[in-house]
Amino acid sequence: MAHYAMLIDAARCTGCAACRLACQMQWQLPPDVFFNRLEFREAGKYPDVKQEIVPVQCMHCDNPPCATVCPTKATYKRADGLVLIDHDKCIGCKYCVVACPYDVRQMNDRGIPEKCRFCAGFIEKGEQPPCVSTCMNNVRVFGDLDDPNSELSKKMKEKPVYQLAAEKGTKPRVFYVKRGG
Amino acid sequence: MLISRRTFLKAGALAGAACAVPAAFDFPAFVRGAAEQPVTKIPSTCNGCSTNCALWVYVKNGRLWKLEGDPKSMKNEGTLCARAYGVAADVYNPDRVTQPMKRTGEGQFSPISWEEAFREIAGKLTKIIDKDTASTVVWMAHGGKETYAQMLLDEIGAATYITHYSTCFTSKTNAWDKMVGNQLTADMNRAKYMLFAGRNYAGGIMPGAMRKIMRAKDRGARIVVVDPRLCELAKVADEWLPIRPGTDLAFFLGIAHTLISEKLYDEKFVREYVFGFEEFWNANRHFTAEKAAEICDIPAARIRGIARELAKNAPAAFLDPGYHGLHNHYASSTQIAQANVIVNALLGNFYKHGGLMPAAAPRFGKLALPKRLQPEKGERADGAGVNNEYPTVETSRGIAQHMPDMIAAGKVKALFIYHFNPLRTAPDPEYQKKIVTAELVVSIPVDWNETSVHTAHYILPEHYYLERMDAPKSTGGNIAYDYPQAVMRFPALKPLHNTKHLLDILKGIAQAMKIDDLYPFTLEEDAAAMLKPLGATLDSMKENGCLEVAEAVKPEFPVKDGRPALTTTTGKVEFTVGAFKLHGRMGVPVWTPPLVSPKGESEFRLIHGKQPWHSHSVTSNSPYLMAVTKSYNGSRMWMNRSRADKLGIRDGDTVTVEAKIEHRGEARAVSKKVAVKVTEMLHPECVWVPSGYGNFSPRQKVGYQQGVNYNDFAPARVEPLSGGCMVQEVIVTVRKGG
Repeated sequence: MAHYAMLIDAARCTGCAACRLACQMQWQLPPDVFFNRLEFREAGKYPDVKQEIVPVQCMHCDNPPCATVCPTKATYKRADGLVLIDHDKCIGCKYCVVACPYDVRQMNDRGIPEKCRFCAGFIEKGEQPPCVSTCMNNVRVFGDLDDPNSELSKKMKEKPVYQLAAEKGTKPRVFYVKRGG
Repeated sequence: MLISRRTFLKAGALAGAACAVPAAFDFPAFVRGAAEQPVTKIPSTCNGCSTNCALWVYVKNGRLWKLEGDPKSMKNEGTLCARAYGVAADVYNPDRVTQPMKRTGEGQFSPISWEEAFREIAGKLTKIIDKDTASTVVWMAHGGKETYAQMLLDEIGAATYITHYSTCFTSKTNAWDKMVGNQLTADMNRAKYMLFAGRNYAGGIMPGAMRKIMRAKDRGARIVVVDPRLCELAKVADEWLPIRPGTDLAFFLGIAHTLISEKLYDEKFVREYVFGFEEFWNANRHFTAEKAAEICDIPAARIRGIARELAKNAPAAFLDPGYHGLHNHYASSTQIAQANVIVNALLGNFYKHGGLMPAAAPRFGKLALPKRLQPEKGERADGAGVNNEYPTVETSRGIAQHMPDMIAAGKVKALFIYHFNPLRTAPDPEYQKKIVTAELVVSIPVDWNETSVHTAHYILPEHYYLERMDAPKSTGGNIAYDYPQAVMRFPALKPLHNTKHLLDILKGIAQAMKIDDLYPFTLEEDAAAMLKPLGATLDSMKENGCLEVAEAVKPEFPVKDGRPALTTTTGKVEFTVGAFKLHGRMGVPVWTPPLVSPKGESEFRLIHGKQPWHSHSVTSNSPYLMAVTKSYNGSRMWMNRSRADKLGIRDGDTVTVEAKIEHRGEARAVSKKVAVKVTEMLHPECVWVPSGYGNFSPRQKVGYQQGVNYNDFAPARVEPLSGGCMVQEVIVTVRKGG
């Protein structure tokens, strides 16, 4: 069984939003529904100023609060690590939207929450999620943590990593390269 | 919209049943089902900007599904930026022109058949040519030369083909052409030190350049970015040097001075391959790094430091030859481009790996066509290359921004505008609207752009890029790559509307003008003839996408009979431009101050640049890309916090931006409202606007009146040496509130 995860090196991101658009096309989403976003921040005073851009998406947590609060088990955790939503079971109560500490769920036009699917159905065939493959700066690395030869496993060892809001105990499967790491 | 979600889901459910998976929806079934629909992959090249990224179009059920970058293309190496997706999805944009149209009043059009349009246009054109001269017939286009359009101009004897480049980067191409005879490109794949000034490859995106820059960074190359704004490229650079806008020439001259005065330059290269070194040095020997620092706001120690670092890493070091921002929009843009050539030549990096290399280009074949008896051409209408007008402006590019003056002077009677929107991308739209007064204006667009709505007498919509085949193109240029590559567009989708390919539009007009057999070939035959010497066919291109020729460009300065053999007069790199001197100008660059400078608390220089998800006005009616703008308040005007504080302006406040436009003795006040982004990431003397906004075509519902456009505040001027439009020589007054 694979153990899918993603590593994001935010220092490489130049904020072009290709990841958002590539994903929208892959999943045929309308313009205002998107599964990944960018957080822009400035630090310092002119001229000693830095910009930070942090790509954020569903973290496919190992302890997903969205699944815990779901009254119908529509949100579920797959054995390979993916957190997915069964649209037929969903009653549109939005508990999951509120419960997600990363604010990555959006309601679609049928009143059902949507979010990053880690490209379920494509990755099993060995394809890379388009948010990964479209990126000119190689911000994201996706892969199987159980495979020691995967690019992901190698990259995870190269540099110190952290998880967003790790203190909430969500155990995200999206890791970030530490700044200056 | 893209393919309907409903169709997509239905396919998933059906396949789910077939595979005996429980009826409950799950994603693997969804995707398996979708995958069972036949998917075709067609190669094309992106139309989101002029980079021509090669891509694969995935088509399912006759509808566009998705895109993938072609890994072989050096321009994008398998990746694509956001614009590629937004522009592709726009094939379904309801604001496209869906059939030929004829003007019936201001902003009013009625449908006309192709035959009728061809007949009426041909009639008017013939009358104009008979009554005046064919010199009054002009073709204007975004991008390079369209061979098929040029053939019509040649046939009737019309001299003037104008590109949009005089609103983009003509001082760069002009200086390189006259000083080097070639447009060299930066070899990021091998450089150890890269200096970028006014060139933001992560905003005016060239994905393949960013691939190469990031790889260089990973292997330890140093990246320095000079820009008044902490641009996207500066974000990933080792160093950002915020320069006073309009003073880059001082910075370049300061570097040149350091290289020469500290004897850091490549003396052997200069001795063997440079003409005019003494003339340059004599004119600039007092322009020290200290002098430069006073002007450009970068400390002298840092200017000297950069010069030393460049020299230390030379020849695997370069000052990127640059693009739009610096190379058109200042009064000193031609001198800026000249100084760029000089800094690089002093490093001895010409035709060196890691420095500057010539663009690799495949040797395309040519269809053998019978020779035609064609009339002699008169003078160009736009004054490019014409004595006493703009004699040193490149005739291959022309001057686009003063068309109404040319019409008023009777020099232009008939105007074709191909995929070009001067009303939004050239200065002073109120002035540009007078294009409508020509006797015949034909716009060939895909969408209802401002130029079509306000000036076209006829609109002849072309197929969308996904619906058409286009002749093969080279990927070469702008950035270095060792091997020539050819890319080609194949039709991925059936035309949705009553549109035509440019070749068929031209055939229709030529036939209606009773010009026989001007185009005795099909698109396929022409493309096949081009590919033949490369050993490729239409089928092989369709199967394989980007084609690479295994014949590397050599890192060798051109030499013939033991002498330097550039195409310049001396065969050498010429630090002084004879053509400029012939017309009473300096041959070498010397410090030239900006035309205008801001004074006081409420005045700012207005500068602009590309935002990563927009390409000037082409993308600003894309629902997907404008949704990104909405997410990130992308249409705001940037202002430095210290300046904003003094004016009581807070982030998100609406301000009034005012300027006075003077043109030929007439003055007009312009006033626009825009929301402000208050930031530390900008030089305090300027405000910055992203270049893609301020649409005013009411038929473009998504982009209509979103944000402001820099062209609203700039008069239509022509920089005399290269024909640039100098739109960053504009001072605006900003006050809080509306």
